[in-house]
Amino acid sequence: MVIDNILGAIDVLANGHAMLLMAVGVAGGLIAGAIPGFTIAMAVVLTLPFTFGMPAHLGLATMVSVLVGGLSGGLMAGILTGIPGTPSSVATTFDGFPMARNGEPGLALGIGVWSSFCGGIISAVLLMTMAPQLAQIGLEFNPWGYFMLVIFALTITASLAGKNMVKGLIAGALGLLVRTVGEDEAAGMARFDFGSDGLLGGFDFIAVLIGLFAFSQLLNDVRDPEKAKKSLTQQSNMQVRIEHRRAIAEILKRWQIVTRSSLIGVFTGILPGAGGSIANILAYDQAKKASKYPEKFGTGIPDGIIAPESSNNAVEGGALIILMALGIPGDVTAAIMLGALLMHDVVPGPSFITDEPVLAYSIFISFFIATFMMIGLQSIMLKVFVRVTKVPMYVLASIILGFCGIGVFALQNVTFDLWTLLWFGILGFTMRHFGFPLAPMILGVVLGNIAELNLARALAINSDLTPFFTRPWSLFFMIVAGFSALFPLFQGHRVKEKFWTLFYLPAACFAVSLPLFMMGGIPRTVLAMVLIAYGAYQLWRRRQNGWRFQAKENTP
Amino acid sequence: MERLNRDSVIAITLLLFCGVFFWASFDIRTPNYGVLKPSTWPRVVIGILSFLSLIYLIQSLKGNPEIATAKKSDRESGLRGWIDYWRNPLWCFGLFFVYLTLLPVLGMLIDGIAFVYVLMGVLGGWDGKKPLVHAYIAVLTIGSMWSLFTFGLNVMLPSGMFMDSF
Repeated sequence: MVIDNILGAIDVLANGHAMLLMAVGVAGGLIAGAIPGFTIAMAVVLTLPFTFGMPAHLGLATMVSVLVGGLSGGLMAGILTGIPGTPSSVATTFDGFPMARNGEPGLALGIGVWSSFCGGIISAVLLMTMAPQLAQIGLEFNPWGYFMLVIFALTITASLAGKNMVKGLIAGALGLLVRTVGEDEAAGMARFDFGSDGLLGGFDFIAVLIGLFAFSQLLNDVRDPEKAKKSLTQQSNMQVRIEHRRAIAEILKRWQIVTRSSLIGVFTGILPGAGGSIANILAYDQAKKASKYPEKFGTGIPDGIIAPESSNNAVEGGALIILMALGIPGDVTAAIMLGALLMHDVVPGPSFITDEPVLAYSIFISFFIATFMMIGLQSIMLKVFVRVTKVPMYVLASIILGFCGIGVFALQNVTFDLWTLLWFGILGFTMRHFGFPLAPMILGVVLGNIAELNLARALAINSDLTPFFTRPWSLFFMIVAGFSALFPLFQGHRVKEKFWTLFYLPAACFAVSLPLFMMGGIPRTVLAMVLIAYGAYQLWRRRQNGWRFQAKENTP
Repeated sequence: MERLNRDSVIAITLLLFCGVFFWASFDIRTPNYGVLKPSTWPRVVIGILSFLSLIYLIQSLKGNPEIATAKKSDRESGLRGWIDYWRNPLWCFGLFFVYLTLLPVLGMLIDGIAFVYVLMGVLGGWDGKKPLVHAYIAVLTIGSMWSLFTFGLNVMLPSGMFMDSF
């Protein structure tokens, strides 16, 4: 069955047209990812209008290729200029740039490229194996569980805003509200149209995404008139050859770092809202902690390039796992992928892989192929990157704003979408300026109608609200959402050694075990018991330490 | 203190925004079918947004430094300083507005080229050979994108009254 699906997917992708589109996608992604200020999400969102005329599998394969290219492109700028191309390659610059300055830019690039490759392949394998399994679990969700899953996704995304959690939650709620404008899907009644025909149709969410993310980002990039006129580098003779053989040898010697960092990447990708920007720092930090020579980190050692690069490429595999299995986007790029699927009348969810096996597996296979293509194209695109870095920022921004106009209009041939682009561009720019994170708002826009439809379904089955507390999955997500909402407070208070923080982790373990018991079955019951035992152990340790996290050292 | 005031103003604006939407939610018609009224979900969201905005307002009034994160700019005070500081984004918004207004007249191709050309000029300057280089870039990039959508993807982009008259 799985083999049939894989062969079916290969059949639709193994042709010149698909390969050409994917190669163009990877090349475009590599360049977009390499230019500081142009995020991967922006590259993917700008690709979307080009794909709407294509069959679903081709459109998605192109977008996956841009995504894979973008994830790897950031390392070129980070290593050669010291300026990370994307937030997901920030940690790469810590050791990549020093290694390049120490006279080994070819080796640094090679290690970066092959680490990205390894991370991508590990995550692609996990995507292919885990997504169908997770989808099976997703079939157990009822409308109550699904509704709470959306609330959990929004809460955890907002909580990742850290100190700005209130702003993150406000952004998420704003996104949900934006999605309610226009005819409601359940009853077809007009909402918040204020007498306008354009508003009656609602905001096209791709136009909203491009406005909020791409438009506002571009304006941010050209805000400073002097910086806008400058190009990324003034160097005229940046000639580098990637040293593939030495790089592979260095990576093979450090396979544990590759594996650990890739798993960190996949796990971070699965968490809604946590993307490559978190994964690369986390993997770098873990590699440093586990290293026998942590003092060498930051001086230009291979370990410091391998960890962030393998983790940031693994992130999207994780985000796609949760998107394809549950229909919940793990990050902004996955939200755009969800938009692409919806544009092709494909609604991802637990039954997606079963209902559309060839399409689902074509996404898996294209992730694989794009990762291989990335290796081959990186050397070629390096030369293009050097040329692009000489173009002033204002030229790139002006051209892309022009492309945004054509691309957004082409989505539905409606001029109102262009106005949506402008208004949401202004809103996104203002929100950025005032410190509101955009990711929760984007997820709110994407998940708004999923939440409402499931709430409507839940209430149609039973108008009572108690199933939200008595259904195991709903209770599970409610508890996890509650604890993730409290997490920033816990972090802040733990430093101040507030007493209640001692009970946060044990309480979370005990609380989560309850719905796991309710779900029944041996594995979940065992997991619940393990959680209770772990919570009890943590509580016992804190008591042993005199109700502290760590025992006070006896000083003579 | 300036930052705190700014946060308070944003919070009050959000509360007013919630008020307008809550008032508008009474215009939503209720059909005689379905359990969840079309106005229920928006009102729940407005309620949550109002509650969060209220917390934001209280935090900003209490001077919680954690919430006062709006970036303090290095611009000069006064309207002139504000306009100078935001010159480029204001040009972008303004020119995009003009671009959309002129779209039915000029069509996507001419309007798009004009938009990119003028925007590059105001952001990058008009000195030396720049006007010529900018014109070349605008025609080449927007022209190729327009061609790709029109001939490659068969998308009917607006031709505009100006082009229609020929």
